[in-house]
Amino acid sequence: MASQNRTSLEKMEQVIIVSTLLLLVVITVQPILNLLAISLSSPEKVLLMTGMTVIPEGFSTDVWNILLNHPKVRTGLMNSLFITISGTFLNIIFTALMAWALSRPNLPGRRIIFIFVLITIVFEPGIIPDYFVIKDLGLLNTYWAVILFKMVNAWYLIILIRFFEEIPEELIEAAELDGAGAFQTLWHVVLPLAKPALATITLFYLVYHWNEFLRPMIYFNDQDMWPLQVVLRQFVVEGDKVAIVGLESMANYDASSQISIRSLKAGMILFTIAPVLMIYPLILKFFTKGTMSGAVK
Amino acid sequence: MSRIDRITRSLRVWWPYYLMLAPGVIYFLVFHYFPIYKAKLAFEDFRIIGPNIWVGMKHYYVLFTSTAFKQVLLNTLIISGMKMLFVFPVPIFLALLINEVRGDGLRKVVQSAIYLPHFLSWVVIAGIFIAALSPSTGVVNDIRGVVGLAPRPFMTEAGSIRWVLVFSEIWRSAGWDSLLYFAAIMAIDPQLYDAAEMDGANRWQKIRHVTLPGIVPTIATLFILNVGLFLNAGFDQVFNLTNDAIRDRIDILDTYVYRIGLQTGQFSLATAAGLFKGIIGLVMIVAAHNFSKKLTGKGVW
Repeated sequence: MASQNRTSLEKMEQVIIVSTLLLLVVITVQPILNLLAISLSSPEKVLLMTGMTVIPEGFSTDVWNILLNHPKVRTGLMNSLFITISGTFLNIIFTALMAWALSRPNLPGRRIIFIFVLITIVFEPGIIPDYFVIKDLGLLNTYWAVILFKMVNAWYLIILIRFFEEIPEELIEAAELDGAGAFQTLWHVVLPLAKPALATITLFYLVYHWNEFLRPMIYFNDQDMWPLQVVLRQFVVEGDKVAIVGLESMANYDASSQISIRSLKAGMILFTIAPVLMIYPLILKFFTKGTMSGAVK
Repeated sequence: MSRIDRITRSLRVWWPYYLMLAPGVIYFLVFHYFPIYKAKLAFEDFRIIGPNIWVGMKHYYVLFTSTAFKQVLLNTLIISGMKMLFVFPVPIFLALLINEVRGDGLRKVVQSAIYLPHFLSWVVIAGIFIAALSPSTGVVNDIRGVVGLAPRPFMTEAGSIRWVLVFSEIWRSAGWDSLLYFAAIMAIDPQLYDAAEMDGANRWQKIRHVTLPGIVPTIATLFILNVGLFLNAGFDQVFNLTNDAIRDRIDILDTYVYRIGLQTGQFSLATAAGLFKGIIGLVMIVAAHNFSKKLTGKGVW
């Protein structure tokens, strides 16, 4: 009898746990699905759509056509892609080189350089000195300002060093005995073994560059250099409708096209997260594994 | 063997490695150490033409006697405090909850969903929250309407905006942060659960006596790290969620530095405020690291 009570109690508990978690899933996903539904609904229906809807009404791709053909959005996309891809490329090269050297246990000066890097994590003098450094280097209004500014991330560097340190020393010694130099050992032995860690920090860097908005805002005067995040910010956060809709179209706007500003905003938000959603499965595969093993250690 | 000899010898052996380090070291010098030198602007008057003039602590005197700075400092502490109290525990509960789910399928679905917001920028999240909290078309006020409550303009209401920060922070980071705790739970020896079960422990007793003690070190480390980062109340978040109606309620140190520096051009004063935050932050994070090391044997880095 007692054990029967216990199993029914446990069943109750399980129901509560599962429904709580499903509620959390809904809270996470619903606002995004709502925006998707609004961006895919026909303009005249949007007026009546609530924040709770997750199904488009009167399917229409008008919003997406406008956005995909909008010069500001298109240049924004190209700028974001350029900064993200070239930035990540340089990140990986220089982080890996530095991590490999710093993972050699006998390298003279290793500890000093490690502390030299750590200091930059714990002490940041602020964005104004950063700005003047970029200015003094003549990098204002160049893509270099945002690409070089985060060329090596100290945290990701540490992650990679820790990973390289776990590679069995015998493998490295064997390569060296075969006459491989520091670069060859890195290329032929260390990097292939470190693929999961490299994938993890690549994804970290990709997401970082894609989501960056502050530095481009500060360092680029030229709006044609703005990445997508800054365009999105101007439109959605600062509510600058003219920037996206255009002055002429604003002037002869009637009530029904005013509504589509809500859809345009929704579409713009989704447009900006689409690439993140595309690599998200990879992120789940690598990040979760990487972080888990890191935490277990 | 002389010092010079030792250096040439180790250079002969290690030069390829120093070559690899060179770009990174130059990078850190230029983009992280050069700004530290540039922070001397905090003790100078900025001039567009000609060299800056040394004025010592003048800007700090201005800063510490201004009511605006006091309010900003207070806001920073209040918002960080609220996050510590109301955001910090959420991922712990979340990890415990996820751990209690039977069935890998459901668990994976839940985890895949709740980790996602961590990878969205605050620009995007601000966009989502502005939409979801809209008095006329937002889901939150729609739900309030269903239960008969009047809509509220959360984004422009002095009384709500700090809570908007708390909830948006939970929305963005609680899921991802639960991963650290979940990993710690996974690392607990399964035999401990078996033993507890043999002793007739129920779900709650197992959580209390096995799971929780197993993740206490992780909780302690992350708590201390959060204390160390107390002055970082969340620049990206506040920067994107703020507006004229409620700015004075959530203007924090970092947004203040941005505003008076890059928007109104008071470069010296802004640098002084930023450097103040940097130095206090440095002391706090180093103290946190040492404390954590003493307590759990694991530092912050």
